[in-house]
Amino acid sequence: MRKRTLKRGLTAFWWATLAFLYLPLAVVVLFSFNASNSAATFTGLSLRWYGRLMGNEEILSAFANSMILAISSSVIALGIGCLIGYGMYRHRHRKLGWLIVLIYLPIVLPDIVFGISEMAFFVQVHRLTGLLQPGLVTMIIAHVTFQIPFVALIVYSRFVGLDPTLFEAAKDLYASPVKRVVHFMLPTIKPALISAFFLSFTLSVDDFVISFFTAGPESATLPIYIWGAIKKGVSPEINAIATLMIAAVAIAAIISLIFSRRRQA
Amino acid sequence: MAYTGVTPSARSRGMVREARHLLVTVAPGATWIVIFLVLPSAYLMGVAFMTNGPYGLPEMPLSLESFRRLAGFGFLGWSPGNLYTLLRSLWQTLVSTGLVVIVAYPIAYYISTCRAKWRPIMLLLVVVPSWTNQVIRTFGWMNLLAPGTPLSNLAEGLGFIAPNMGLYPSNFAVTLGLVYNFLPFMVLPLYAAFEKLDTAQVEAAQDLFASPVRAFWHAVFPQTLPGLLAGIVLVAIPAFGMYVIPELLGGGKGMMLGNLVANQFAGGANWPLGAAGAILMLIATFIGLFAMRRIGKRLGGGEEVVI
Amino acid sequence: MSDTIAAEAIASPGAPQAGEVAGDEASREASSIEMQGLHKRFGRDTVALDGVDLTIEAGEFFTLLGPSGCGKTTLLRILAGLEEADDGRLAIGGKDITEVPPHKRSVNTVFQSYALFPHLSVRENLAFGLKMLGLPREEREARVAKIAEFIKLGDLVDRRVDQLSGGQRQRIALARALVNEPDVLLLDEPLSALDAGLRSQLQVELLRVQKRLGMTFVFVTHDQQEAMVMSDRIAVLNGGVIQQVGPPREVYEHPVNAFVARFMGHDNLYPVTARHHDRLTTPLGELTAEDAGEGGLLLIRPETLDLLPGEVAGDNHLPATVSERLYRGSHAEYRLEIGASTLQATLNNRGRHLPEVGDRVTVSVAPEDLVTLSE
Repeated sequence: MRKRTLKRGLTAFWWATLAFLYLPLAVVVLFSFNASNSAATFTGLSLRWYGRLMGNEEILSAFANSMILAISSSVIALGIGCLIGYGMYRHRHRKLGWLIVLIYLPIVLPDIVFGISEMAFFVQVHRLTGLLQPGLVTMIIAHVTFQIPFVALIVYSRFVGLDPTLFEAAKDLYASPVKRVVHFMLPTIKPALISAFFLSFTLSVDDFVISFFTAGPESATLPIYIWGAIKKGVSPEINAIATLMIAAVAIAAIISLIFSRRRQA
Repeated sequence: MAYTGVTPSARSRGMVREARHLLVTVAPGATWIVIFLVLPSAYLMGVAFMTNGPYGLPEMPLSLESFRRLAGFGFLGWSPGNLYTLLRSLWQTLVSTGLVVIVAYPIAYYISTCRAKWRPIMLLLVVVPSWTNQVIRTFGWMNLLAPGTPLSNLAEGLGFIAPNMGLYPSNFAVTLGLVYNFLPFMVLPLYAAFEKLDTAQVEAAQDLFASPVRAFWHAVFPQTLPGLLAGIVLVAIPAFGMYVIPELLGGGKGMMLGNLVANQFAGGANWPLGAAGAILMLIATFIGLFAMRRIGKRLGGGEEVVI
Repeated sequence: MSDTIAAEAIASPGAPQAGEVAGDEASREASSIEMQGLHKRFGRDTVALDGVDLTIEAGEFFTLLGPSGCGKTTLLRILAGLEEADDGRLAIGGKDITEVPPHKRSVNTVFQSYALFPHLSVRENLAFGLKMLGLPREEREARVAKIAEFIKLGDLVDRRVDQLSGGQRQRIALARALVNEPDVLLLDEPLSALDAGLRSQLQVELLRVQKRLGMTFVFVTHDQQEAMVMSDRIAVLNGGVIQQVGPPREVYEHPVNAFVARFMGHDNLYPVTARHHDRLTTPLGELTAEDAGEGGLLLIRPETLDLLPGEVAGDNHLPATVSERLYRGSHAEYRLEIGASTLQATLNNRGRHLPEVGDRVTVSVAPEDLVTLSE
């Protein structure tokens, strides 16, 4: 009897928590279709804010910047992180404590400290050498820095899960070092590479603080643009662009659900 | 054992090859992190000990001026502003972490009691909001808590807030934003702990102890402690350094350490002061990590609390 | 279940298709292996091989036998090129390959864990080596089809690796190595993960494959029974040193030292305290031996003993008491007490009367069955 009430209470709490989690997003989506520009009252359905988006060059370039940043940083991080993940695996019997510390550093460092360190460093390097002017390049560098550990750890754990004799079987079956990479290692860790890429991409698109401090005047990403718009005074256009980003996440969630289902089957 | 006539060439050739392999695979990433993170962090720490120049940039000579400023000593004597900010950061971290635990614990338990086929979907539902950008999520709360919204009107009607003030900007809004932001970080490790729960122990405890509260306290809670600790690390450390949420939801009176630090750089006001604040944040981070590791190790069970 | 049926099919005599493959193979010259002064250390003071000199003849089924840590696997890995010797030379078919990397050696290995590639199908696993060698697709397919027929893989070829049972994996691993037609095939305890029934079937199958192909097989095991069943010759290793090399019968019946004797399963070892021509004094009593050698330890194999009821006087007759009997159907194992010493005897179960525990009996042994060996 008591167990039943407990279960019912928990079910109610679960739905309340879900409401708490989705309410802010729902409000953003709802008001993106608001006919008036009031942030408090909903006056009717309209697509005018989406229409305005399409004509807003600042938003379009912010979107382009976000994509360039996410894709290029993920590709670079994938290469470097994959190498380091393999190195950590192959030399796992050595004392590599310093490497582990180095790998975990970007993960444990608070965002804000990460961001201002990079900013201070890039500003001074630029002052002294003229290189690394704040902009997309500095943002890519900063993003790669926090993506490397995730890629390395994913690749490392994939290798650790393999039978170590497989590496020897490949050697034994006439695969030269290059062929071992092409025909054995890369195909074997392909699932890990794909998930590492998507994680890096998501981390990059999701990031605001580090991008904010390493960006230049021309390299605003979508979150930076939205931040600026909020600071200037709320415009309903933000609801529209935010809704599109929420939609992208929802699609990603559904895809990941389908993938995990298929893997179970 | 007695044999020592090993040809040095064959052995050392192998060792050289392995060392070269280690270098080729690990060096690019390690160098990258050293140049683009270790060096900048070291530079930032150095900045904290320098003097503030005319444009907010650090200059020689070395001094402890920025730490004095951080503690509140300015040109006009001592003011408590920075100290309040620091205490507020600690308070907000404590309260929001506590609230996150209170919400996440029953949620994680509930998910673990549901049918196996639903659990992944339920976890996904908890996590998906955190995939959207933090700025957008916080913006959603601005919409919800602004003056004139139903929630604000309700609070006004109940007499919690003055008329036409709205629920944001306020410290309450910051706490709410923090809880919202970090809830999934706590649910996931707790769920992992509940999933591994040894039900035999729980049943034994139900036989041994008359009250379900004592059964919970002796059989369930200790088993979930590693997950709880992992969750606390995942929530408290980033909460202490939070920038976006207090900046958007807190207003001038809701500032936290992250804002104090960031403002010294974003406004170009005073790098050394900001760097001194960053050092404080780093110290807090490492104390937190260290403490959790120690507690985690003492709890034992081979379960190491790793971030 | 399906393993068992398939294995039986192969074990059945006179499979005609197999002859064709064997015929092809016979035209290939089998290769000998020569090892000289191989040394290998791990870390500072773990000696894996301490000077191994060994010649394996072309077409031989050769077994490296020893307890774990004796160096047998290290030796096999050096043959494969997966490990580099610190010192010494290695030649296969008269060609020095000491410094040739593994992927350039015409040597293939059947690994203990089978090491089938999880990202490839069974067919792709089988063709992996040929693909790395750069053979054109048609030839690869033809060779894979031929080996699949030879090893009777049937529809296994179209399965996924994770759908295979242990015995099936083992046979795929064997086929994946054989399809490359290497000079030498190395087998690293390939049967140790299988249950006893399947194991003895696959032993027979492996032996037949080797005899038909006439290929040089180097087999590693810690199981002396397996070694004796399979091998043309056995090398017993201990502490990185070869103790004895010879055909199974020689190693079993004439072990050169106490280690080899014990490893081959002998417990009846007694110090020779005095010797006068063929008369040996041992703790059991005085015994006459014929051509027993000059060693200080006497070995009495349990199966050479005979038990006579009661006390019977005679040469090489020892009075004893039965203290234990293990009845095993075809034979029985007895523990006998002679003074302060014990003696194991194994006798076939013939006749009506078997000695019981507590019986007084007389142990009899022929002088030519006694051998001595060094400590």
